[in-house]
Amino acid sequence: MRDVAIIGVGAHPTGRFMDKPLKALAYPAIWGALDDAGVKVTDVNVAYVGNSLGGLLTGQEGVRGQVVLQHSGITGIPIVNVENACASAMTALRGAWLEVASGAADVALAVGVEKMNVGNNARTISALSGVSELDLSELGMQFTTSYAIHPKINLKSRMQEYGWTAADFAKPAVKNSYNGSLNPLAQHRKPLTIEEVVQSRVIVDPLTLLMCSSISDGAAAAVVCSADIATRFSSKMPIKIASCVLQSGVYRLPHDDRPDSATTSAYAAYEKAGIGPEDLDAIELHDAMAPSELMLYERLGLCSPGEGPKLIDEHVTTLDGRLPVNPSGGLCSRGHPVGATGLLQICELVWQMRGEAGKRQIEKRPKVTMAQNQGGLLLGQDSAVYGCTILKS
Amino acid sequence: MKILNPDNLRVSTEPGATPCLLGNRCQQCGTIVFPKMPVCPSCHRNGAMEEVEIGRTGRLYSHTIAHFAPKGFIAPSFQAFIDLPEGPRVFSLIGSKYPVERGVLEDGMEMRLIVEPLADTPEHRDELTYKYVPASKATRAKA
Repeated sequence: MRDVAIIGVGAHPTGRFMDKPLKALAYPAIWGALDDAGVKVTDVNVAYVGNSLGGLLTGQEGVRGQVVLQHSGITGIPIVNVENACASAMTALRGAWLEVASGAADVALAVGVEKMNVGNNARTISALSGVSELDLSELGMQFTTSYAIHPKINLKSRMQEYGWTAADFAKPAVKNSYNGSLNPLAQHRKPLTIEEVVQSRVIVDPLTLLMCSSISDGAAAAVVCSADIATRFSSKMPIKIASCVLQSGVYRLPHDDRPDSATTSAYAAYEKAGIGPEDLDAIELHDAMAPSELMLYERLGLCSPGEGPKLIDEHVTTLDGRLPVNPSGGLCSRGHPVGATGLLQICELVWQMRGEAGKRQIEKRPKVTMAQNQGGLLLGQDSAVYGCTILKS
Repeated sequence: MKILNPDNLRVSTEPGATPCLLGNRCQQCGTIVFPKMPVCPSCHRNGAMEEVEIGRTGRLYSHTIAHFAPKGFIAPSFQAFIDLPEGPRVFSLIGSKYPVERGVLEDGMEMRLIVEPLADTPEHRDELTYKYVPASKATRAKA
């Protein structure tokens, strides 16, 4: 396998863009990445396009990648459509990475795009329910419920087990809202207080509105190439993909004692990159519901069980901390256009590693970073998809 | 009225019979799953699954109140996971006669299976499915 570098990234701002179809959302992200990389359309050998809900919500059930890329002037090359729920974009990146690592391509493009605002939130929520296995969603199970009480995450039981309070649950949202307030691409740019988060409307007890990522439109893209030719295109510092791991959920019976799949995917990524969690300088992780960030601290090996809130209290994971988490604002503040999120995480890490993150730039420029992305829900009590990418400069 | 998923639910018309879920038991390792699947998720043996009646009772593993709903469903509503004595843990809605309020359900309580329409909405009024309700008559239901 060849070493692969990210040489360009681009993103569309995240938010509510009623007048923009998928291809219009993707266009600035794609050209942002191409221009950033210094590559021409004709340099791109292959493209992977991640999208989750576009079939149901826009009616473009098939060939969304080809439609989106033709609008941006990219035609003729192999284009692979990727659907992997909220980890669609990370899966697209993995496809692009594999193409180059294997030697099949020299330059590959990964795109993630999602349009969730269609003027009818009940429709969007129904579509989102469809990323759970149908046997669950047809009974009226909601995706938010999976975070509240699903055995795999069960934030409600963590309150009893660890003594976490509603204020603890609010801490990641507050931290990330500050980061998001500094991010011009973010959907929500108002810094929040603990009180505001706790007292916002209950969505699925114990989760309140401001603990939940919201309905978002957005897009992101990355250009990857063989590391040995990276400087041919651009004078910017290439960012090496040290590992790019994809796992699927496993069928778990109630008393399954195997390690959590977020853990196994992260540790597989650490191992392949030759690092441990202690080597990380910054993380973008999948805080689809803010308090799940606290769980992920444990599962990624950043702290002992129950210690999550301390990492925020002691300013470890804040923007000024030793290991900033979600400097972009994360899913709750930057926004969660589901099929774009994995690449939005990658964009943020690349900008941070290059020192291009503006007001939210981490003071000590990170050299080793990780993006953790997951999605979907299976009957076997696991998420459907787990993705973990480690970058090195 | 039709049963939403007849492969998952047995509603007998025999006198005295109670409804139950239909799962699979692996004849090799004994693992019981719900819904059915042809390959055992524990020992991965193919073709050794037999149908078993399960889930007439269960224990409330965890529950919450959802304050919004996808199209065709009603909010607020209880959302719950039930541990069945046979092994599986299943997602279930709670019988509609119980008021959707804190304090009505308690994690760990004994539950029993009932059959009723999926939701009292035009989309789902005619679809019968399983739900669970507290087994004890002491738990208050709507008058």
